This record gives sequence, C-alpha cells and structure tokens, in this order.
Amino acid sequence: MAIRLAGDFDISYAHDMAIIRNRGQWVMTIAFIVTLFALPFFLDAHTLGILNLIGISIIAVHGLNILLGYTGQISLGQAAFMAVGAYTAAALVKAGVSFWLALPMAGLVAGLVGILFGLPSLRIKGFYLAMATLAAQMIIPWFFRNVRTDIFGGMPGLTMQPPRLGEIIFNSQATMYFPIMLTVVVCTIAAKNIARTRLGRALLAIRDNDLAAEVLGIEQFSHKLRAFFLSAFYAGLAGALWAMYARSINPEQFSLLSSVWYLGMVIVGGMGSALGPILGTIFLRGLEEITTQLAPVLSKMFPQLEAGLLAALGPMAFGVALMLFLVFEPRGLSHRWEILKAAWRLRPFAH
Amino acid sequence: MKKIVVLVTLVTLAMVVLIACAPTPTPVPPTSAPKPTDAPKPTTAPATTAPQPPAAATKPAEPTKPALRSKANPGEKITLYHLGDVTGPLAAITTPLVSGFNDGAKYLNGKGGIRGAEILVEWSDTASKVELGIAAYNRFREKKPLIMQMYGSGETEALKDRLAEDKVPVLTAGVSAKGSYPPGYVFAVVPIYTDQFGLFLDWLVPNWDKVKPTKGQGLDAPKIAFVTWDTAFGRALETPEVKAYAEKKGVKLVAQELFVAGAPDVTTQILAAKKAGANVIYTNTLAHGPAQVLKDAVSLGVREEFLIAGDNWSLDLSMLALAGAASEGFYGVFPNLWWDDADHAGVKIIQGEFTTNARKPAERSVGYLLAFTFVDAMRQYIEKTIDRVGFEGLTGAAVYETIQATPELKPMEGVQTFDFGKDKRAPSRARIVQVQKGKFVYLTDWMTAPDLRPK
Repeated sequence: MAIRLAGDFDISYAHDMAIIRNRGQWVMTIAFIVTLFALPFFLDAHTLGILNLIGISIIAVHGLNILLGYTGQISLGQAAFMAVGAYTAAALVKAGVSFWLALPMAGLVAGLVGILFGLPSLRIKGFYLAMATLAAQMIIPWFFRNVRTDIFGGMPGLTMQPPRLGEIIFNSQATMYFPIMLTVVVCTIAAKNIARTRLGRALLAIRDNDLAAEVLGIEQFSHKLRAFFLSAFYAGLAGALWAMYARSINPEQFSLLSSVWYLGMVIVGGMGSALGPILGTIFLRGLEEITTQLAPVLSKMFPQLEAGLLAALGPMAFGVALMLFLVFEPRGLSHRWEILKAAWRLRPFAH
Repeated sequence: MKKIVVLVTLVTLAMVVLIACAPTPTPVPPTSAPKPTDAPKPTTAPATTAPQPPAAATKPAEPTKPALRSKANPGEKITLYHLGDVTGPLAAITTPLVSGFNDGAKYLNGKGGIRGAEILVEWSDTASKVELGIAAYNRFREKKPLIMQMYGSGETEALKDRLAEDKVPVLTAGVSAKGSYPPGYVFAVVPIYTDQFGLFLDWLVPNWDKVKPTKGQGLDAPKIAFVTWDTAFGRALETPEVKAYAEKKGVKLVAQELFVAGAPDVTTQILAAKKAGANVIYTNTLAHGPAQVLKDAVSLGVREEFLIAGDNWSLDLSMLALAGAASEGFYGVFPNLWWDDADHAGVKIIQGEFTTNARKPAERSVGYLLAFTFVDAMRQYIEKTIDRVGFEGLTGAAVYETIQATPELKPMEGVQTFDFGKDKRAPSRARIVQVQKGKFVYLTDWMTAPDLRPK
C-alpha cells in the first residue's frame, strides 16, 4: 500500500479514486506537462530525435505491459504488431487518407490482428503462448514482404510523406515531437486507468490465478482477447508514429530483436505498473544511446582495440542490465521508485 | 552484499555517463607525418612507388595547394562523418570500414589534409537498426556536415528525403535502387545491384558456351536461380527492369530461393533451384552468403552443375576464407581494384598504411580498402568545392553541386571510379572476376553496366 503524506485523507469517493490527490501534485503535474511540451523550443534535433524514439517505444511497451504485466500473457510479437500499424498508416496515407485519420485506423487494424494471434491463448499459456506469438513475428513480416506488393511495396517497403496540419509539415524532429508526445500522454493515462477499471481488475485476476478468476465469474477467453486487442492497438499506434518518424518502412525494421528489446523494457521498468514502461524504455534507450556514443570515444582512446569490439558495448550492456534486474530487482525500476518515495516520506525513520 | 552490488552498478553507470559526456579528444596528428604546412612526403611506401597525393579528377595533387589555406584560420578542421553497422549481422564485413576510414584520414592528413585543413573523423554504429541510423544522423546533422558516408541500405533509404531537405550529400555503400533513385543527395559508390546483374548478363550470354557448367540440365542457355537473403538487400533484383532485361537477353529467371542471413545450411534452396531447372545461381549478399551456397553445393555434389556468381559485396577475402576450396570458380561483378593489384599506386599506398598501422589480417578486406578510398573521394570533392567557392562558401549544398558536376573522379589513383551526373547516382563500370587458386582473377576489361534503375 502506498504511503501517503501526513494529513492526506480521503474525504470523498472521488478523492479516494483520484490519481492526483492534492494541490502540490497538480502543480507538479501541470509543470511537468508544460515542460514536456516546451522542450522542442530548447533542445537540438538530436536530443529531440532520441525523445521521439523513446516516446514511440513507450507506447509500444505500454501495450506489451497490458498484455504481460496486467494479464500475464507473454508476447514475442510486439514489433510485428507495430509493423501492422506502420503499414496500415503508410498504405492509407499513400491512398490519400490523412495521417491523423490513419493513426487511429492503424491502431484498430493492429488490434484486430492482435485478436487473431491471441486466439491460441484460450488453450495455451506460458512458453507455449510465447511460441504462438512468435508465429506473428514470422508471419506478419512475411505477409508484408510477399503479399499484395502493389499495396505494401514488397521487400523495399513503403515511403510515407510527412503528415501536414494546415501549414505545418511534420518533417522535423521538433514538429514530430508534438503528436508523438501527445499520444504518449494519452496512452499513459489510458494505461494507468485501464488497471483501475473492471476490465483491468479482471486482467489482474487472470494474471494472478486464472482458475480462481474463472471461478469468480471472469470469462477468461474474452478478457484475454481484449488484452491482446489493447496491446496490439498500442503497438499499432506506435507503428504509425514510427512510419512518420522513419518515413521509409520495410519488414526488416520490425524484427524479433525489436520485440525482445520491448520485452526487456517491460522487465527493467517493472511489469504491471504504468510507470514501468516509461522508466524501462528511458533506461534501455538511454543506455543504447550512451554506449553508441561511447564506442567512437573509446576507439580513439584505445586505437589498438577493434571498433567492432567497442561498438558491441551496446548489446552487452543490454544483456547485463537485463540480468542484473532479473536477479536483483525483478519488480523493476518502478518498484525501486516506490521504495525511494516511501523512504523519502518516512525519513528520518527507517520504517 | 546486495547494497554493494547496487552501489557498484550505479558507480559503473555514472562512469559510463561521464565518459560518454566527455568532450571528444582532438586526434593528435601522427608524429611521423609531416605537419600540414610541411612539404608532403610519403611516410610508408618505397620512394620508387611513392604516389603524389591524389587530387582533382585524375591528376596528382600539387604540393602548392596547401597554400590556399587561410592564414586567418590556421586551425581549420574538416570533419568527415560515417555511420554504419559496426555491430549486427553484417559486422563481419563492415567493421574494417572504421579502420580504413581512420587510416585514410591519417594518411591524407600527413599529405596536407584538405587544402591544409586537418581531417577529423566521427563515426557511429547503427547495428543494422534504422532507429540508430536516424539518431546518429540527427547528431551529425547538428554539426552541419559537408559530406557523409553510409553503409547500409536501410538507413540510406530512411534518411534519403531528410538528406535532401538538409542538403547533406552522402556516399553510400548500401546501393539499393530505392536509396539511389529518384536522384537526390545520395550517391552510390558502386553500381546499383540491378545494374550489376545486368552487367553480369552482358558478359554471361555471349560467353555461355565457354563458361557453362560441365554437367547439368538444359545447358543450351543460361537459366538463373536467385539463391539469396530474404532481405531488401538480398531481394534487390526483384524488379520489372531486371526481368525485362533478362528476357531481352534470352535468359530465363527460373526460381528465387531465399535464406536467412547467417543460415548454416542452404542445401534445400540449392536443390529447389536444381529442380526448377537452373544452371546458374546468382546471390546478392555479403561474403558469407556465397560462401554458404558454394560449400553446400559441394557437399551436395552438384557444384559442377551450376555456374555460381554474386554481386560485388560477395567478393571478399572472408568469402574465400569461409568457403575454402569450394570458392574456386566463383564469379562476381567487381567495380574496384583489389589488394592483389600490387602495382597500382593507390593500392600500394593502402597496403603500406595497412602495414604501418599494424592492422590485423582479418581487416584486410573490401571494407578497409574501400573506406580508405571513400575518404580520398570526399577529400577530392571538398577540394574541388573549395577551388570553386573558397573555404567561406563550403557547404553541403556546394559539395553536392561539385559531385554532380564532376564527370569522373578517381580516388586513390583509381581504386574506384565515380562518374556521377545530374541524374546519375551510381557508377557504371565494373569487371567480371573469377576465383582462381584462391585469388580474384579479372576475366574482362572494364565494362559498362546497363541502366536498370527503377522507372
């Protein structure tokens, strides 16, 4: 149970349900939102590019967290569902549909495809379900490579023109930042609230003990499919934003390795918490960026070492981070954050 | 114990962050090399073969050129940027590019840099991930690059429009048709894959009776199967232009068999090609692709039933090492000179620098050779631009204009030849080579590839 500040009482049902509970938290939240959307006026394109990439990843990882963290269903196909979103958006834009309409459509189409690949979840779980979702990771890119190449561009893929809104062209990191971060904020609020709804509680019940949940009257199959839909919907949105970000998409961009990275982000951030995907994504994407920039510096410092060896710091750091978290903090950064908050509120007392 | 581990982890991470944020140390010019103001003199190659520094077009650079350096800007520096997959599935081929690039810059700095300006190099690994390519480009873009080098088709294609918007010309080794055309700021360093295949057909058809397999089926005419990677690179020949050209040449494309990059077995694909009636296998991959095809063809006992060939990137020493004796008789399209061209002035320089810098034998690859050459190409294009607009007018857009307006450029005395134009974004020259006794032997003189760019 969360430790509250002294004097913070529930004075109404609405107050009991509130996420933001007092004036101080409101001020902090508004200040954070204002700062978040003011960043493009102060940061360079490189930093904004990293933030955009983090934002897109957060959306995809939120989706995976709904499936894995809330419902306990393992998926190795998140990148493939992103591909569905990306191709849907790019194909619709190519057909003359506005990107702003294509964006939710991408989510919906990916969600429906997610339901399709969620069907085996009725009969199988754990590793077996992971293998079933792995099939999505194989079939979906194959589909875009080989089927209706007139629409999906075959192997070379599709190029997407930057979206427009009036006179604004979303072709720079600064302009793309706004739709991406807006989607991140909306998706984060939705993910936070899903866990507090009847559906969310049912998902948590299935995760904790599916048999007990069934006995309590929670129909497993439909709830699992809803979780698959939501997860893939988020991935679809992320995919559409990725198409805007990359402008050129092909099936190779949505690899199994990407799905594994998203899984790693959920684990590092902490499963079953809306904060987890944010912290996990920032941590791993940050680590990736740092190691990428570190390799050329080390290469100059130690010219006798091969560049490839130094550049391999990135994949190594990912593996080491994942291992350390699994061993020492399996509940992830969000749990560590909760402990930190509790310690701060209880200081100077240890307990 | 747990606290100690956490503490150590945090301290390590903090150190990593601090190192990453530290300013990039300015590379110290090699002590053995002359300062830019000194008269250039060769440091490694023997006197009889010491080349003059290559400069505009095909002429050697004149020693007086560094005088153009402005005295008001004694510390002039020009940074050349390159990004590519130093890690990831293609790393075996691409890693030596970094060493080649560094050694090339070091050598040219010893020769006076770019009109006296010191050449600096910055690179970034993309691990074959487009998102890392975009991030690296954003980082370099802030520094207003004059010209960049890229290696992968993926990042080239993704960045193509941005490069045009930002007016940053790029030389790319990822020579997919989608990345190179319609013409923009991307210039391919070798003929695009479709053109290479067209050139291969131009050679194959008239020579069929001489080179056709000794055994096999339907040997009256070439019947080609693509046994290649299931990637955009591997499947770059799936274009209507290629089909139409093969038909025009009387060549049948009978099958396309795909495999995953790094697959340890392609026997199924080879047998499927045989079943489809193929007598030629063409693979559009890096070196380990044909190595696997060749080894498995031998193990199946069908090597003599196929003429096996590949694109330029399939021709590397690593292919010879991986395939061993099975590589004998392999054909390929070769748009540059090779390490064995020991009498060539440019190759001699590269050989000398490779030895001087104590590079490992594994780095003696196509990547090192060409990266060294790319640096010289960039230097020449920038020098030509300086001659035209001066140091003050030096921008990416100005270099782009120079590249388009230079009908022929021979970096490193002609290790490669670039002949870009207003609507031409890739070279056309190449030769056909064959592996004979573990070496690449030229079978033809320079040929001009047909134009099979996408319509």
